[in-house]
Amino acid sequence: MAVNPQQEELRERAVVAEAGAPGVAAAGAPVRQTSLWRDAWYRYRANRAAVIAAVLFLVLLAYVIFVPIFSPYDPYEVNFSDAYLGPSLAHPFGTDQYGRDLFTRAALGGRISIGIGFAATIAIMGIGVVYGSISGFIGGKLDNAMMRFLDALYGLPYLPFAIIVTQLFQTVNFWVMVIALTIASWFTAARVVRGQIISLKENDYVRAARAVGARWYRILGRHLLPNTLGVLIVFVFLELPGVILGEAFLSFIGLGINPPKASWGSLAQDGRDVYLAHPSMILIPSVLIAWLILCAFFIADGLRDALDPRTRET
Amino acid sequence: MTKFVIRRLLWTIPVLLLVILFTFLMMRQIKGNPFRKTERAVPASIQANLNRKFHLDDPWYVQYADYVKGVFTLDLGPSLVLRNQSVNDIVRSHFPVSLELGAYAFLFAIVVGIPLGMIAALRANKPADYGAMLIANVGFAVPSFLVATLLIYYFAVKWDVGVPTSGWDTWQSKILPSIALGFFPMAYFARLVRGTMLETLQQDYVRTAKAKGLRPQRVVGLHVLRNSLIPVVTAAGPLLGAVITGSFIIETIFAIPGIGRYYVNSVSARDYSVTMGLTILYAVIVIFGNLVVDILYGFLDPRTREART
Amino acid sequence: MPLLEVTDLRTYFATREGDVRAVDGVSFEVEPGRTLGIVGESGCGKSVTALSIMGLIPKPPARIVSGSIVFEGKDLTTLRERELENIRGHEIAMIFQDPMTSLNPTLTIGTQITEALRRHLGMSSQEAKRRAVELLEEVRIPNAKTRLGDYPHRYSGGMRQRVMVAIALSCNPKLLIADEPTTALDVTVQAGILDLLEELREEHQMAMILITHDMGVVAEAADDVVVMYAGQVVEQAATLELFDHPEHPYTEALLGALPSLEGAGGREARLSSIPGRPPDLLDPPPACRFAPRCPYAHLGDYCTVEQPELRELRPGHWVRSAHPASERAAVAV
Repeated sequence: MAVNPQQEELRERAVVAEAGAPGVAAAGAPVRQTSLWRDAWYRYRANRAAVIAAVLFLVLLAYVIFVPIFSPYDPYEVNFSDAYLGPSLAHPFGTDQYGRDLFTRAALGGRISIGIGFAATIAIMGIGVVYGSISGFIGGKLDNAMMRFLDALYGLPYLPFAIIVTQLFQTVNFWVMVIALTIASWFTAARVVRGQIISLKENDYVRAARAVGARWYRILGRHLLPNTLGVLIVFVFLELPGVILGEAFLSFIGLGINPPKASWGSLAQDGRDVYLAHPSMILIPSVLIAWLILCAFFIADGLRDALDPRTRET
Repeated sequence: MTKFVIRRLLWTIPVLLLVILFTFLMMRQIKGNPFRKTERAVPASIQANLNRKFHLDDPWYVQYADYVKGVFTLDLGPSLVLRNQSVNDIVRSHFPVSLELGAYAFLFAIVVGIPLGMIAALRANKPADYGAMLIANVGFAVPSFLVATLLIYYFAVKWDVGVPTSGWDTWQSKILPSIALGFFPMAYFARLVRGTMLETLQQDYVRTAKAKGLRPQRVVGLHVLRNSLIPVVTAAGPLLGAVITGSFIIETIFAIPGIGRYYVNSVSARDYSVTMGLTILYAVIVIFGNLVVDILYGFLDPRTREART
Repeated sequence: MPLLEVTDLRTYFATREGDVRAVDGVSFEVEPGRTLGIVGESGCGKSVTALSIMGLIPKPPARIVSGSIVFEGKDLTTLRERELENIRGHEIAMIFQDPMTSLNPTLTIGTQITEALRRHLGMSSQEAKRRAVELLEEVRIPNAKTRLGDYPHRYSGGMRQRVMVAIALSCNPKLLIADEPTTALDVTVQAGILDLLEELREEHQMAMILITHDMGVVAEAADDVVVMYAGQVVEQAATLELFDHPEHPYTEALLGALPSLEGAGGREARLSSIPGRPPDLLDPPPACRFAPRCPYAHLGDYCTVEQPELRELRPGHWVRSAHPASERAAVAV
């Protein structure tokens, strides 16, 4: 050892000091549930893009909900003398090949697209929570088997599978689309929930609850699931774009919801054949889809920062 | 590593069986059993063919076993609608087109998306970053049918730069469809690379590399990029699904004779054996795509490479 | 002439609320072949000081506002990035706190050692490999030749820190900056790394800056000590002098915070901690930064409204306090 005698002496006096620096404040005091959500709200508000996205999302919702109620036009009445009118004050989005007002039809299409999107996403979450919490909570061999099963389903191409499901039914309506899209895409949600449950299970407070003899349903319902809530809310907005696009694609290739009902995807399909003469017919529904997807995307981003600060980038 | 690859290969067999089972059972539900009950009048010759092929009097599991045997011996049966054509014929003549389209689309996505993400990360919160992310966000959110339509509208019609509006014969005709199909994966890669690269730039080992006095080209090109590309490789698997989905749309819009268009047509025409055969083909593609991704991942990340052997 | 002379260094971090003065007027010198210990609690600016010397502070948000860092006659703050790169890893090398994250997980140890050799010494790949084996042997890694092809995850924490030492020493730097080199390691391997550093420092005739919050480490390895508090130097002296006659109340507290084996029974000896916490470095008041926690500062003292200067109480012993121990003693007597 190349330490001089003086330092040897000092070493004896000093030996090994503790790592903790003096005056470190005690961290990790328990936080009340209410302030947790309030903190999340403050963090969300600090994210300007997320706030703008939320406002634009509400604007879109308002358009979709209220315009058909107050519109003077019948969205299904055919009137060939008004076909293919360009955008005007009377018809802000113009009219389609049957002379129907596109401002109204796009709003109705939005109800269908957004409705299918949210319904399918919530169904996906529901299946995901049940499957994921069974798998993650029980663990062991069952977990292994259930995850292997998911791995296998992961090999399924999503849209072809959804298409096959729609073919099981006589007509393709709102709920058929919801079912098809749900069946084709619940796997990720199950994985996410399982991952959350497993990581939460290792937490000290869960061990503590176990140690004092809490029943499994109490641990699951009181400690595990509420703590996955934040992740699930984020997941809804992350999953929404995929589902909405999936629906739009199906409708665009003519395998979606049956006419005369129309989603944004089928409106775009109507415009597809006449894009040279009437580009707004494909442009408008597509832009509405993009609008919704971008909103969902930035909202998800803001929610992730707000609800799950651990994963924050900076 | 070879052990891992072999195990992974073996694992695809039960997965494939399961996928075929799902598809088979669902198609059975649709078709009803036997074929006679479908609304379409099936020609007698095909009916005989089908009876022979599917052994319609046998219980379902025997039929399933027969079909599995068909899949593994690469015989997907006859088409119900296109007379004198088997599903194999359709795959043989149209799959290469789709494969080519998909390959170009991926190429476009990689060649444009990864540099775009890198620029955004290295110039974070500067105009270049905002520009790159604007492109990426638009590409992420705008449905591919609009991308395709806009490309045709401007490049083929309005400015007429010498690319046709449809078809798949000359090299000019392949440009727009490839870009249209590759636009979403491009945007996805750009976003992903930016995110992972920003994260990697914060890593201690990057600071170590800088502390060695290495030139920025080497720090970014070797230390940062290599680690940033790992998630990109993992994302390529799921993106394969997105590209398949996109091919339905793009092939329809550009009138490209690939299997995507055939698939859509087979569903509308209720040509069940084609739908089923192509669905299984897609599943096989996705399964093997994921297999390749897993193996590549092992090469990029030595930690998993060893954990798996 | 000192090897490194840091004068009035100020490194600020821009935040939304304003500038955080992480390093606020720090000066010290490092003589060739000697070890300077920099001590202080986390957040006192010691790591930022080191990164400023290396030119590795994250810009933005950080920036060097003023001051100079003169190394062998060159002011590093005025050099261009390319010139700095030639010095980094070559003449000044650095070892970081956490060996688990400081090595690239996807490159072999060999690549990570040889790249510095090839970059600065222009070695061929063969030469660099040979030298890398020697270096690994020098830091006592067994089977150096075969271990060159291994990835970091095959190495334990202590071994990785040895690899970091090997990388740092590879180009025979004149100055080695070790930022908490043992903090993240098991107590049992800490001493080994410190001894290795000391031995190699002597062998390679390097100077070293040893950054730590651990007075024990300082005692073991440093010739001189700089004590930092809230971005400033509060006391500076030769190690023995500092341990024997600490002047600043903060230094006293740090030394008092050491568990002692000599005291009245090891078990009962308690860690004395200093009440309060360091000041917010965003717009600190123009007073002594330690005043709010200082047991000797009373309301109305000039040090609560004015910043005490760093002054030389005895030759080579500098302190920034209105109430150094020796003056307190004089008043008491």
